[in-house]
Amino acid sequence: MTAEVATPRVVGRRRIVWIRRRRALSRVWRMYRASKPGMIGLVVLLVFVVLAFAAPALASSSGLHAISTVQNPTWASPSKFGPLGTDNLGRTIGAQFLWGSRISLFVGLAATLLTMLIGSVVGIAAGFFGGRIEGVLMRITEWFLVIPFLPLAIVLASVLSRSLFNIILVIAITSWPFTARLIRAQVLSVKERGYVDRSRALGASRWHLTTRHIVPNVAPLILANTTLTVPIAILTETTLSFLGLGDPSRASWGKMLNEAFDAGAIGQHAWWYYVPPGLGIMLVVLAFTLCGQALEEILNPRLSERA
Amino acid sequence: MTGRRRSVFVVMLALGIALVAVAPSASGATKKNDIVLRVGTTQDIDSPNPTVGALVSSYEVWALQYATLTDKAAADFKTIPGLAESWTASNHGLTYTYTLRKGLKWSDGQPLTADDVVYTVNRARSEQWTNFDSTIAHITAKVIDPTHLSLTSSIPDPKLPIMDVYIVPKHIYEKVTKKGLASYKGLDGIGSGPFTLKHWSKGLSWEMDANPNYWRGRPAVDRVIFRPFTNADAMVAALKNGELDAAENVPSSSFRQLQKAKNIVGVAGQQGGFDEISMNSGAGVGGNPALKDLRVRQAISHAIDKQTIESRVYNGLTTVADAISPSANPEWIPKIPADKRFNFDLAKANTILDDAGYKDTNGNGIRNMPKGGADITLRYAERSESPYGAPIREFVTGWLRKIGIGTSVKVYNDTQLTPAIGKGDVDMFAWGWVPFVDPDPELSYFQCNQVPTKADPSGYSNDASWCNPTYDKLYKQQNTELDHAKRVAIVHQMITLMYEQAPYVVLDYSPDFQAYRTDRFTGWVKQPANIGPVIFSNTSPSYFLLKPISKASSGGGLGAGAVIAIIVGAVIILGGGGLLLRRRQATAGERE
Repeated sequence: MTAEVATPRVVGRRRIVWIRRRRALSRVWRMYRASKPGMIGLVVLLVFVVLAFAAPALASSSGLHAISTVQNPTWASPSKFGPLGTDNLGRTIGAQFLWGSRISLFVGLAATLLTMLIGSVVGIAAGFFGGRIEGVLMRITEWFLVIPFLPLAIVLASVLSRSLFNIILVIAITSWPFTARLIRAQVLSVKERGYVDRSRALGASRWHLTTRHIVPNVAPLILANTTLTVPIAILTETTLSFLGLGDPSRASWGKMLNEAFDAGAIGQHAWWYYVPPGLGIMLVVLAFTLCGQALEEILNPRLSERA
Repeated sequence: MTGRRRSVFVVMLALGIALVAVAPSASGATKKNDIVLRVGTTQDIDSPNPTVGALVSSYEVWALQYATLTDKAAADFKTIPGLAESWTASNHGLTYTYTLRKGLKWSDGQPLTADDVVYTVNRARSEQWTNFDSTIAHITAKVIDPTHLSLTSSIPDPKLPIMDVYIVPKHIYEKVTKKGLASYKGLDGIGSGPFTLKHWSKGLSWEMDANPNYWRGRPAVDRVIFRPFTNADAMVAALKNGELDAAENVPSSSFRQLQKAKNIVGVAGQQGGFDEISMNSGAGVGGNPALKDLRVRQAISHAIDKQTIESRVYNGLTTVADAISPSANPEWIPKIPADKRFNFDLAKANTILDDAGYKDTNGNGIRNMPKGGADITLRYAERSESPYGAPIREFVTGWLRKIGIGTSVKVYNDTQLTPAIGKGDVDMFAWGWVPFVDPDPELSYFQCNQVPTKADPSGYSNDASWCNPTYDKLYKQQNTELDHAKRVAIVHQMITLMYEQAPYVVLDYSPDFQAYRTDRFTGWVKQPANIGPVIFSNTSPSYFLLKPISKASSGGGLGAGAVIAIIVGAVIILGGGGLLLRRRQATAGERE
């Protein structure tokens, strides 16, 4: 009898959870759709993602390599050599822009994932365990916070060799502390809620508490924070590449700006060399910020109470 | 409360002091009506100590600070009297007796006598000073009386009676021990040339004041301020705005537009400089085993299209080259016969590598060492300080890929690259040399004894780690050959041999692109005449000859140039901490 009842009840509970999550998701989507800036950001972002994925179809990668563009004119404006002109070596700006968007987006997203991973683990561990572990973890976090961000990134990037992976690593190492502090604060408040106390009183293990109660409750915040970290990561990648610390063999928007600056594009008034990557960075960063803010308003409990 | 306010006050005071210290006007004691010449460059000095430094900008400091025993004519490098007003040969040309001018004085008023010259030559020989050694290695100096001295060479020396090493003040250098010399900063600012170093802010500027005791008389210019720019575009803008009176190492891309600017004259100064791709030929430490094989180096020589690099990277402003140029005088450069030239031919390069047994055995598009060995992937060093570093790397790695040779690129600044080459961490790089007037020093760099060793990875000149006994033998021959025509023939033979052995792929003979304003000073002199540079030349005679056109004030207003200067200054301050690795274009060249 009990066994017969138990089986459908378990299935039922899972379904309820699933239904509840789907409802929550559609509620979030409904609220998100109501946010005009959020929708604008999303559309812009989608356009760039589509461009990045379609880069091989839109522009041959031969336009990226100086040895295969020897027949092109140099410093040709868009009116003379469509669609976006050429640079000092005759490489096409269009191909560089499209292929560069892939690297810029990839590095931005990958670095953010790594940042969130480190930041979340540290934040949750510090908030949940408290005591000495929290002390040690938070001192490390603060140590990273007080070191000026850019110099640390520059030093790290120059010590490590110049590759895509190292750039991702450098961005993650320098930007996780903000996330860690944010997550820890949220964990501290979740930890004090009644149901967590009750669960603990019923003998739930730490692992159970963390995975069932803490993580699901900080997850929305992590998501909102992720969206807001991407633009920082993209800007950092651009900055490091602009300073000549990026991967020299891959086109990214930052590298385009670096090469434009080095080749004297500003003195040449070759606006078509530096405007596209600059505009691209601005739009993507703006789009991510708009999306992130819209999400944060919905998902961050403090902001949504006020709303 | 008082305590806190006081601490705020202390902080404000500290800030104020810091601001005053940083402000450019406070860095030197420039008076309102001083006649100041402002020169922009892209390279800071490495050390004002002439026994240590090696960068072109440091040579400019020494050329101004130290007069030499014999001078060189601006027009054609002809030997003319310097500190010595005359000299006579004896002992079959092995001994020369020099007569110094009367009443020579150092800039601090101390007398400059034969004792100073003899001290410099003998100490430099016994301690093998860099920048001195190749000139005085076989020479012994002797004081005859305060205005007479003799130099005796132990071997026939085709360079004598030219004696162009920097004569250092004995009363300063005798206080520096042999051990202490390597770390001696050389900021004494005591010299015998037209200007002496007064102030050096690393990465920001260095200032040189007129020497009232210069033997030709006091220069018309009171002070020369050199400013190293991290961004060549900012330097060009500063020149256009009148923030600078002259600039050197202007990027080829902005050179043409500068030529068109009002009140500005562009000079493509030829003095024998050349650019090369160097390959670690394996006689030193480390290095890719494939490059030890002459056939691989020759294949790579066939795979580099110098014509394309010349037109795309140097904007058609340089001359495509075959072999190295050891002198500012082109007579020393041999003509490479057509059947020996490595013409651009990717198919031929591929055939050479196929025949030599370097096949792509694992099918990844990169050739392998024979018998299924490792992929041939060369470690390519890109110089961050050269505006041409990235474009050349772009081309060269692309062509290498076409002949099945892989590359892994690492970016270095010049101070990192020198030891990296010595330690064998680099297989290939693009750099350049600016030679002396006499070919001897430049040729000496490619001897076997100049190859970097494990024991001393920074004390080397042979940056291709190339060793060839025949070359060494010929070098010794030309070093004692007094017949000019015969010496030229030997040098031609050496350079042709080096070309065939291909440790270097010489890309082009590259002029120093310079520009100067015509509205503040007149008297710019090209050395050599017609084709040479006006500043940063062999003996840099312009500075002494310049005359101001009007009493233009030395301090400009806060224009766009000043804004750029402030931005550049901020960047330089950041870079000063070794954080920003973006200093540019340091020609490793050593020149006189």
